[in-house]
Amino acid sequence: MLEYWLGVIGPKPWSFMPVLKVSQLEKSYRLGFIPRPHRVLHGVNFELPERSITGFLGGNGAGKTTTIKCLLGLAYPNAGTVRFFNNEELTEEVKKRIGFLPERPYFYEYLTGLEFLEFYGQLSTRLKRNDLKEKSEKLLKRVDLWHARDKKLKEYSKGMVQKIGVAQALIHDPELVILDEPMSGLDPDGRFYLAEIIRETAREGRCVFFSSHLLPDAEVLCDRLVIMKSGVVTYEGGLEPFLAKMGEAAIIRFLANGREETLRVDSDSILQNELKRLLSQGAHIVDIKKDRNLEQAFIKHGLRGEGQ
Amino acid sequence: MTQVLVIARNTFREIMRNRVLYGLLVVAVLLIALSLALGQLTFTEQARITVDFGFAAIHLSAVILAIFVGSTLVSREIEKKTIMTLLVRPISRTQFVVGKSLGLLAVIMMSIGLLALVLAGILLLLNLRPNMAFLIGLYGICLEAAVLLCVTMFFGTFSSSMLSVSFALGVFLIGHWLDSLKYFAERSNNEAFIFVERATRAVFPNLEYFNWRSLFVYGDPVRYGDVVWVSVYCLAWAALLISVSAMVLGKRDLG
Repeated sequence: MLEYWLGVIGPKPWSFMPVLKVSQLEKSYRLGFIPRPHRVLHGVNFELPERSITGFLGGNGAGKTTTIKCLLGLAYPNAGTVRFFNNEELTEEVKKRIGFLPERPYFYEYLTGLEFLEFYGQLSTRLKRNDLKEKSEKLLKRVDLWHARDKKLKEYSKGMVQKIGVAQALIHDPELVILDEPMSGLDPDGRFYLAEIIRETAREGRCVFFSSHLLPDAEVLCDRLVIMKSGVVTYEGGLEPFLAKMGEAAIIRFLANGREETLRVDSDSILQNELKRLLSQGAHIVDIKKDRNLEQAFIKHGLRGEGQ
Repeated sequence: MTQVLVIARNTFREIMRNRVLYGLLVVAVLLIALSLALGQLTFTEQARITVDFGFAAIHLSAVILAIFVGSTLVSREIEKKTIMTLLVRPISRTQFVVGKSLGLLAVIMMSIGLLALVLAGILLLLNLRPNMAFLIGLYGICLEAAVLLCVTMFFGTFSSSMLSVSFALGVFLIGHWLDSLKYFAERSNNEAFIFVERATRAVFPNLEYFNWRSLFVYGDPVRYGDVVWVSVYCLAWAALLISVSAMVLGKRDLG
């Protein structure tokens, strides 16, 4: 158990049913003038526990979007299984419990914000017209688009489209929310606002699974990570264990010859050695700060090529 | 069923908010009005020319709507990936295809109704009272448009909108030539030509069956048995094409 939480991948300690369980997922596309199978997913396995925010990370072409499409029945896997909630397949009933925002969403431009949410609400819930309208209005306020409720989507900025996209994913109170690159192309304000919505969604007890290239955003949002490289999962587990596993970098601030300088070290052992060296040279240590970040850990993880 | 109606309503709203529809309707109204002027050029055939020209304008508008708007119904959803957010909802691909078709069919029927009112007004000016034959003529146009929109949508499930339009125009032309082809095949000794004619008749819908546009002007009696049979023929083609479209779409990886 302890080993698991420290990041050593082993048997899962969860005693509850995962919200999503993906086993041995494989997918090939036929590409080229003379179509030949091109394997994108090579046996993807991972699980999502309840009430978690899981970041789905990986470089371009790692297979994140293909995995998401296979989960949601938009693409058909060649092998493997996908099970939701109580070990259920993706049925119409299960779909009612899932919310989804695709990558670079393009929505019906001729609809106003309110009409758009009502349309998606009608497709997923059995709420009466007035209740649905009330709910759509509440969501529009929550994603800060109340002022644009009667504007057509073609007049929306990219950030506004992303926000209304998240709102449509939440209109039917799903238990699992899957967001494909929700932060991409947003300005810092937009990313901050969207991060808040994602946090609030998780606080309400939903499971959020989102793919992202923006590691700083993932770092502040996620409690779990699923990392993919070349069609396989190379890490699955908590954020903290991942950062710890990838080493403890630190920045030493010290005074030497009356000048303040900084030195970055990549591991605890190097830190101890450098401290000894600096002290022996008469330097005055001002401060030592941990410098752990997901970006560096991710690059290190990629260089190690774990899981392959 | 609710899901189908929600999709149909949204498709209806999408087309109604497209300015191209109004442009097409204005052109059709002008063509119908022109039929009045053209009728004046003849001495004895004024009514026939006005009715022929008026029906042709309505027929052309319905065909243009069915083919050109129908070509974008599914292919644009796939190209722009809007289909992804729809199909992750509790909607089957069949419901999606049926909903889209019904939405466009509603617009076509509404347009035919509107243009028919204009034509009926002109006919009343000429002291011609629209009767059941007039309505049956319009009903035939509706049935033909329904088959054509299903044909176009079927092509849209596996090709781009441009290709769907080309294929559907091909089906439209062949569908109207089938009777002529049969006429020549009956008088031909060429086995290959006869075989091609039979194969074409088996594969393509005969769109001339829906042509009741001359009943009104010639005062021919309406044969209700034919109307029922042709309605069933239309339904069978629509059901077949929608089923195949749903099957093709159902096998496709999206996005």
